[in-house]
Amino acid sequence: MKKKNASSGPRKKTSRKSPASRKRSGFWRFLLRAFIIGAVLLAGWMVYLDAVITERFEGRRFEVPSRVYARPLELYDGAGIGAAALERELKLSGFRKGDGARAGSYRRNGGRFVISTRGFRFPDGEEPRRRLKLTVSGDRVRNFAVVSGPASPIVRLEPAQIGGIYPSHKEDRILVRLDDVPALLPATLMVVEDRHFYDHFGIAPLSIGRAMLANLRAGRIVQGGSTLTQQLVKNFFLTRDQTLLRKGNEALMSVLLELHYEKDDILETYLNEVYLGQAGTRSINGLGLASQFYFGESLKDLGVHQIALLVGMIKGPSYYNPRRHPERALTRRNLVISEMEDAGLIDSVQATRARGLPLGVTEKPSYSEDRYPAYIDLVRRHLARDYREEDLRSHGLRIFTTLNPTIQYAAEFAVRDTLPRIGHGEVRKALEAALVVTAKDTGEVVALVGGRDPDYAGFNRALDASRPIGSLIKPFVYLAALSKPEKYTLITPVQDRSFTLEFDDGRLWQPKNYDGKERGLVPLHEALSHSYNLPAVRVGLDVGVDAVKDTLQAFGVSSAISEYPSMLLGAVPMTPVTVAQIYQGLATSGFNTPLRTIREVTDAGGEALSRYNLEVDQVADPAAVHLVQYVMQETMYEGTGKSAYFTVPEELSLAGKTGTTDDGRDSWFAGFSGDLLAVAWVGRDDNGPTSLTGASGALPVWSRFMAQVPQHGFSPVIPDGVSYHWVNDREQAVTDENCDNARRVPFISGSEPERRVSCSGALQRRIQGWFEGLFR
Amino acid sequence: MKMRLMPCVFMTSAMLALAGCAAPGGSIYVPAGGSSRVPVQPSVTPEPEAPAPVWQQEQPDVSAPAPAPVTPPATSPSYRDSGDSLSPAALSLVREADRLLAQGNAPAAITKLERAQRIAPRSPEVYFKLSEAYVISQRLDRAEQFALKGLSMAGNDAGLQRAGWVLLADIRRARGNVAGATEAEAKASAL
Repeated sequence: MKKKNASSGPRKKTSRKSPASRKRSGFWRFLLRAFIIGAVLLAGWMVYLDAVITERFEGRRFEVPSRVYARPLELYDGAGIGAAALERELKLSGFRKGDGARAGSYRRNGGRFVISTRGFRFPDGEEPRRRLKLTVSGDRVRNFAVVSGPASPIVRLEPAQIGGIYPSHKEDRILVRLDDVPALLPATLMVVEDRHFYDHFGIAPLSIGRAMLANLRAGRIVQGGSTLTQQLVKNFFLTRDQTLLRKGNEALMSVLLELHYEKDDILETYLNEVYLGQAGTRSINGLGLASQFYFGESLKDLGVHQIALLVGMIKGPSYYNPRRHPERALTRRNLVISEMEDAGLIDSVQATRARGLPLGVTEKPSYSEDRYPAYIDLVRRHLARDYREEDLRSHGLRIFTTLNPTIQYAAEFAVRDTLPRIGHGEVRKALEAALVVTAKDTGEVVALVGGRDPDYAGFNRALDASRPIGSLIKPFVYLAALSKPEKYTLITPVQDRSFTLEFDDGRLWQPKNYDGKERGLVPLHEALSHSYNLPAVRVGLDVGVDAVKDTLQAFGVSSAISEYPSMLLGAVPMTPVTVAQIYQGLATSGFNTPLRTIREVTDAGGEALSRYNLEVDQVADPAAVHLVQYVMQETMYEGTGKSAYFTVPEELSLAGKTGTTDDGRDSWFAGFSGDLLAVAWVGRDDNGPTSLTGASGALPVWSRFMAQVPQHGFSPVIPDGVSYHWVNDREQAVTDENCDNARRVPFISGSEPERRVSCSGALQRRIQGWFEGLFR
Repeated sequence: MKMRLMPCVFMTSAMLALAGCAAPGGSIYVPAGGSSRVPVQPSVTPEPEAPAPVWQQEQPDVSAPAPAPVTPPATSPSYRDSGDSLSPAALSLVREADRLLAQGNAPAAITKLERAQRIAPRSPEVYFKLSEAYVISQRLDRAEQFALKGLSMAGNDAGLQRAGWVLLADIRRARGNVAGATEAEAKASAL
């Protein structure tokens, strides 16, 4: 546009003068006009560039991704964790194996650990730097002591970062303030990249001249004359091509930037902006993040050799990548150290020592972005209830989740390791799985696996696979019944005999047992622990489908529930996460505890924005739930869940329930220990048959998981209004403890049997039992 | 309303302080692999080479060669008479929460108590403290639920039971549930 005006304009207006003078004066006039037009255009262009560069400068300074953290590991005497798991947690939180004296390092000798924490600002206050000593023995922390730093019987490690929510340009950074950066870093930066930073006005013509000369001599580009300001501008626009126009624009913008901002503002922005590497689609920007990414350390803790490496890498972050090209990086680093020495930033002793050190780069970045895709998926869905996506992407929020990396590790292992051993042939290849683990009494989701390959961020079965739950519904059917103690106790005989239901429209329904057998009268507890279908339907129809439906809704089902009697055998589709929610109430004696993945969200400065508190809501009589818990334990000892004890240590008491749908399309297991509740699902994405049952598909995954986690056994406190009695369940009578057929069973007060039988089955008056009750 | 509730809060605190030291025993902790293992050996590391048994039937066939030794499982469901006592670590967090409550900072106290609850989820004291903190925050609905939760774990500890029922009676009365309050009081005085 500029060119066209300059050449076509003058020609029209020079027609009336003599050719020679006309030519001369026309030439000067042309020059003047061209100059004026050029100046106006340039001014316009400058105004435009000024707007672009200030907008970018201001905008970029505040666009920071949100960070997602795992739960912090709590260390105290008695904390349950194995030594290998502790070491893994330390690494995940960016600790380095070392002397244990330097902040962010640990020393391990067998079960003995010395850990130096870096300190962390939690939403509820600062956790200061400390040195800790402890021993891990029998999967528990013992002899815990704070060696230096403020004393405390319990200390939180800094949490591992497990994810980020990035701006659309995928730049990741940790903002640093110039005041917090060790002075040696900007000094080195200037020595290497721009010696006259504090003197120039954005560009340094002398340096450019020098560089051009050098480049001409060499016949190629060997030297750049860019100032830090120019480099910053270049970084803003993310292109590396070096056209003249581009260079001109960069120079103009650099000058403009210098007119608007203080040198220190520009320097601080440079430190936060400079490109220093790539991790997948995420770019590593700024020295704050680069320090974490390459050394796993905070900028303020870096040594001379590390500062030299970072500054040296600016010239070519991928060419000098210390993980991929350690030798190149080392040569470059040592060159920078020499420059530092020559400039007098360090003395020769320091320089020699620094040159002698290894690169000091961690093997892998302490944080990789895609480690827990299924879990982060759930976190994002929970965040979406209260936050806008664009705020999450740019406001640098800190999101404190409930993920327990040790338990997640065990959950992923259980799925990965067990699935290839279940089923046969084509079915085996097609099998998929989901596993949800929550902390029983807090409702915190501590681990989540969404498929057979936990690293793959695809279809999240834990959240989105809605499948009929089969026999997992039975505890709720019997809970509805046991809530009527005048009618049902654990030893009430129920009919295991087939029958046919005829609907109003003439259709017939004839439920069957899984094994096709019928057993006549069986005690209620046995019907549930062995998961017989016929008694479940009979009892369910007796208490009413509505009562079962009400129970499910009270325990947290919000979607529509079928009112057909087939719902009593689990023709109710639910996702694994929903099953975990409703089993929470069974595990906690009738208290519904909403599942949470987020404890707190704070702004970048650490101020709390939202807190998601523990909530409990009593939705069922604890006494009736206690009876159901009893049978869910019996299921593990003598019912459909007993094969768990091939894998799980026998002293770990557990409670659970199998679930199977027609042709093994869905294999479920839901159960709990004293600490954890886990729901496993195994099946095919195409909903095809598998010939698996809950016990042969989901239970091996579930028990493999439980066997790996040190934890407390399930042993519920007897609630108010429940008492245990030795009974003969076939006779529905109290009996003696030492009888062969005696079983100790809980009853809701007033519902215990009135009859008494001897070991031989002879009926007695229940005088002794009455006295027992009196003095209990 | 707040004034009326305060004496109950302090009374419960005093009872809890006593009860915190009294209750013995606790849940059974099982290291990965069971307690028969050599204690110092690192454990949570899954061993990929270890064979996992696979079952093809609803009921495991004990006669089939099982990869793991068949040990007779424990024979009967487990239950107990009282919840866990507070560990020193949890107790230190509860004490910090107490200090914060005394300063009137209930939200900070709740954060501390939730931390205590995570490491001592079966100690009734923590739930009663949470109930108190919600009383001070004027969230009586939550206060009532935490009192109920604490009671569900108090078992046969008469001191804790009484503290819980008295707390519950006061909360219910403050919420206008006179019948519920009377019922809770009757429970407390029957102990």
